[in-house]
Amino acid sequence: MLSVPANRLFCIVLLLLVVPAAASGAPVTRTLSTVEPGAGEAFTVSLSIDGIDLGGVVETLPAGYAFAGTDHPEDRIALRGQSIGFVVMNDTHITYSVTAPVSGSGDITGAWEDFLGETGGEVAASHVAVDGIETVAESAGERPPAQEAASPFAVLAAVAALLVVGWRGRR
Amino acid sequence: MEGSAVKPHLLLVLALLLAVPASAAGGIPGDADGDGVLTRTEYASAALAYLDAAYMNGAGDLDRDDIRDAAWVYARWDGKPREIVDSSGQTVTLYRPLRRVVTFSGESLETLRSLGFDMGKIVAVDKYSHEKRIFFPECRDKANVGSIWSPDMEKVISVRPDAVFLYATISTAACDDIQKRLEASSPGIRVLRFDCFKPATYAAEIRTIASIVDETERGEEFAAFYTSTMDRIRDGTADIPDDEKTRVYFEYWFDYTTVAASAGYNEKTELAGGLNPFAVGTAEYPVVDPEAIIVADPQVVVKLAGQGLAVGGYAGHDPEALDAIRSALIGRPGWTTVSAAKDHRIHVIHSDILGGAQHFIGTAYLAKWFYPDRFADLDPHAVHQRYLTEFQGIDFDLASEGTFVYP
Repeated sequence: MLSVPANRLFCIVLLLLVVPAAASGAPVTRTLSTVEPGAGEAFTVSLSIDGIDLGGVVETLPAGYAFAGTDHPEDRIALRGQSIGFVVMNDTHITYSVTAPVSGSGDITGAWEDFLGETGGEVAASHVAVDGIETVAESAGERPPAQEAASPFAVLAAVAALLVVGWRGRR
Repeated sequence: MEGSAVKPHLLLVLALLLAVPASAAGGIPGDADGDGVLTRTEYASAALAYLDAAYMNGAGDLDRDDIRDAAWVYARWDGKPREIVDSSGQTVTLYRPLRRVVTFSGESLETLRSLGFDMGKIVAVDKYSHEKRIFFPECRDKANVGSIWSPDMEKVISVRPDAVFLYATISTAACDDIQKRLEASSPGIRVLRFDCFKPATYAAEIRTIASIVDETERGEEFAAFYTSTMDRIRDGTADIPDDEKTRVYFEYWFDYTTVAASAGYNEKTELAGGLNPFAVGTAEYPVVDPEAIIVADPQVVVKLAGQGLAVGGYAGHDPEALDAIRSALIGRPGWTTVSAAKDHRIHVIHSDILGGAQHFIGTAYLAKWFYPDRFADLDPHAVHQRYLTEFQGIDFDLASEGTFVYP
């Protein structure tokens, strides 16, 4: 169990990581059941969709990761290579599962379009690594802009964490 | 999660969706069987084909506009084409929403803006609208296709319109010719004919155009605003016997040129309860004998400013210029005996608010001038400002900009 200062630190870091995503107003956000799956383990990817009546989402998995199923209607899914296309028809959630490789890391990336609203954009990338172990090839690549935008918040989180730790240490 | 395993028939679905043909010319995009109805299954297949082609290196034929149009038809038209009857009586079938529009009529352009149509989808306008830099600021960079009498057809074709607006019941020969040439060169083009300046038909035209651009709620709101003013005028003058109506001399831009029964300005004069002693005759804008005006002894004189007497309007705040026009009228030989001059009931009005889509504003001024007691509660200035702000969406303050009536 986490100690009180550790709990506080954890909450601050969590808030700093979550608030920017919520405040960004992106119509499609992604959450993963784990970002560090075990070798060959299946994990769940959940897409939350807000305000798209008719549109689409295309997700692209890192090399070695495999699409393993979804609760989305089958006549509204397309698979090609590492990409999965989902047709959105008044859906607010899409969930699919992915099987991790024996080893490997990378980003799940995505794109969305709102056909009626005539807009589109990227779904912020989600990084995954089998057992938390980074592989050089994938992690050395450039991150998409959405992910780059999150980095100042990560810095803020780190600063906040240091301040809290320092403050607790003086008491 | 109740995830299903990857099944072989997913691949079959993918293979099938790749077989979705491109939208047939004139048909609903994604209507794979071409039966004129875009079903849920057809739409889903079309959307998958688009996603596959656009993001997954697939080979589908539908482009972004196609799938957006398919989504529009599926969601807003219940998957079916929309049939409308325009003001020329022709039935036009729309298989997809308007995306690239050319207007040869400033009145239609203004009505589209009243309805909240995305002005970015107007790709070219007539030369008169193009010149109205203050009223149509968004049109200054659009292509100029000339006028209905001298259309630049090469320019029209070059902007690849999917719809062209023309007049319905005026200049019909010129508009018919443009329509024929368009339909010959671009078979899929939709030619839509509306007037948008006639009191008798404007409310219905608002609703029809609103249906075309799928702004029916906005159309009802605007039609209600328009008819509330026009009905107020009609109701306020309905019980006035002819022999008690206000005698009005309406002078066109040019001196001693008036309007006869067939002129639109006469229709508005009569709607406002005016009695035009010069309404008889076949000429639309007859020249009258100056002596005849004095003999007719009008109770109100209305002088039109505008294109042929270029002062005021949206282009300039210049009440002094309109005052000068009025003073010149008062100073005409023999006019000191005319009732309108004696009673200070000579007014100048700009055609911007009487001749086109804004005729309801000008007609409200006429009614107020003809019957100040009956229309004491009618505020044409407020109607005008609300129209500009709420429906036209332009930043124009009537308190300090433009001159439309005097006094």
